[in-house]
Amino acid sequence: MFKKILVSNRGEIACRIIRACREMGIASLAVYSEADRAGLHVQLADEAACIGPPPAVESYLNMDRIIETARTSGAEAIHPGYGFLAENSEFARRCERAGIVFIGPNSRALDLVGDKIRARQAMEKSGIPIIPGMKHVAADFAEYAVEARKIGYPVMIKASAGGGGKGMRIVCSEEELRPGLESGQREAKSAFGDESVYLEKYIEDPRHVEFQLLADNYGHIVHLFERECSIQRRHQKIVEETPSQALTPELRRKMGETARKVLEVAEYNNAGTVEFLLDRNKKFYFLEVNARLQVEHPVTELTTGVDLVQQQIRIAAGEKLSLKQENLAQRGHAIECRIYAEDPSNNFLPSSGKILFLREPNGPGVRHDGGIYGGWEVPIYYDPILAKLIVWAETRESACARMAAALDDYVILGISTTIPFLKEVISHPRFREGETTTGFIKNNFDNWRQKEGPAEGLTLALAAAALEELSASQRVEKAAGLDKEVYSPWQMLGRWRIGEKP
Amino acid sequence: MDFEFTVDGVRQTISLDRKDDRISIRHGDKTLEAEVRVISKQAVSLLVGGRSFQVIVARDKDKKYVWLNGRTYLIQRGKEEQRLAERGDDRAQKGNSVVTAPMPGKVVKVNVSENEAVRKNQTLAVVEAMKMENEIKSPLEGFVKKIYVSPGDLVDSEKPLLEIEPKA
Repeated sequence: MFKKILVSNRGEIACRIIRACREMGIASLAVYSEADRAGLHVQLADEAACIGPPPAVESYLNMDRIIETARTSGAEAIHPGYGFLAENSEFARRCERAGIVFIGPNSRALDLVGDKIRARQAMEKSGIPIIPGMKHVAADFAEYAVEARKIGYPVMIKASAGGGGKGMRIVCSEEELRPGLESGQREAKSAFGDESVYLEKYIEDPRHVEFQLLADNYGHIVHLFERECSIQRRHQKIVEETPSQALTPELRRKMGETARKVLEVAEYNNAGTVEFLLDRNKKFYFLEVNARLQVEHPVTELTTGVDLVQQQIRIAAGEKLSLKQENLAQRGHAIECRIYAEDPSNNFLPSSGKILFLREPNGPGVRHDGGIYGGWEVPIYYDPILAKLIVWAETRESACARMAAALDDYVILGISTTIPFLKEVISHPRFREGETTTGFIKNNFDNWRQKEGPAEGLTLALAAAALEELSASQRVEKAAGLDKEVYSPWQMLGRWRIGEKP
Repeated sequence: MDFEFTVDGVRQTISLDRKDDRISIRHGDKTLEAEVRVISKQAVSLLVGGRSFQVIVARDKDKKYVWLNGRTYLIQRGKEEQRLAERGDDRAQKGNSVVTAPMPGKVVKVNVSENEAVRKNQTLAVVEAMKMENEIKSPLEGFVKKIYVSPGDLVDSEKPLLEIEPKA
């Protein structure tokens, strides 16, 4: 087993990996950009090293610097988390060459699945159903226009190196094609350093169902069932759950088998996720392989009892998979909500600033994977994910109730977050019925505004603001005067004391 | 004691009277009696007729974030117009519409030029923040009167990007 692992990521996922290392008795080395010196992952790790200026290209995407850091500090392996270099085959190759274990698939498998176009070709050849569309990058705009007409509008623009919704655009007419392509290419370039895009048929209102898999270095592959991730905005998932309400045991078995075959075709090892679209007629299409640990991996962990990060590390260290397909089972129901620094009442625009106060929910069956703390300034340079709230319960109904209560108990002050929005998603009758498709947000929450609260709530909130106001003016007097008492903002009205009996 | 705040652009006046650990709150024509218990520096417990309210307050300059039983209120000191004026924002007075950056980020593209006619919802510029491109759309039909930024500029939230003159 490794003695030290470099975690080349930031935020909640870096914290998650660092904790796994600690439990396994492995030293963790965090890397950080100049904007992240105060990041939680830096504080949590055993060691930390700065790898450059704030922009990701100069830090978290700086392969030479990261590998050099691993080498000089004696880390034998690098865990890339998700995003950044996680699915970068060039990085995996450089690690291999430097004699450092990349905790993820081998570089050839990454090459194949990371190139969405080549993956489509390979999967189609092996009889795996794919979405109709291009299997190459066009030379110029005219060719895209011809292809789009051939596929038939609406079409979907996708980044060949894509993931996380970056570079993706729905195009409904030829008029929209050029601006869509330009903007998609620019976003792909900025996110992946590769501007290649292709077009495929836009499947209307499908479900997004993916399978989690683990493959060891010896060809043994198991799937850990599905996750349904249909609740999305801007093609990015915000709520995930397992099991999916759409799968029968028979369909689950069939999709699981197909997913295993996908990894076989790609000669894949380590953890991976095979994404499918499931249309209204329960026909499924291979979408892509996410060749990394997924953001939503905790729902699988809670229902199968398998620690995916630890499995990744064991597989990378050359251990044989001890899990057997026939022994794996799903138990209960798990839901994850992604907490983003975004304003849901303003088109999900990113919000940045200081987290003035944080209180994470807890209780039975509640898990919080966070990378934040009260007093931390959210930098503008990176993805706006702050944390993930995950619940487990015996049934879907009780998991929904548990999630709603946990969101109600979650306090983040100082920046806009998706919390109030997620509460309404979880409480929506269509969600409760399991009627989830990728159009759910658009169909039910377009131009969403938070509903007015009870009138009394505003009155009491104003009263609290007024009390705080009084205490602030008292603070100024205290600063100028002789009062050495411990400051409490609530003492403004004279002789109240903490703990005093009424 | 009277206090004046702005919530969602609406002015709110509230007055408090204290007797020991009880406060009388007057808000418009409503009056509430609450028993107050300090929990910590930022948290306070209110009992109103036996019903329990947990309140957390965090302050950032003139903004107060008040969380109360699962809901967050953004409460600003003083009046809306006054705050706009302080920021040098003259949106209220002019017929022209100033399009501002919705969040801090980087201008990656300006799609229009000065004096160009624009349709409502036409993309005027693209601002990137947190690796996402956000298209800035025209709020109305008219002409581009002035462009304040160029590609590559870093902009703060609410910084003016362009000015649109409404179609006559």
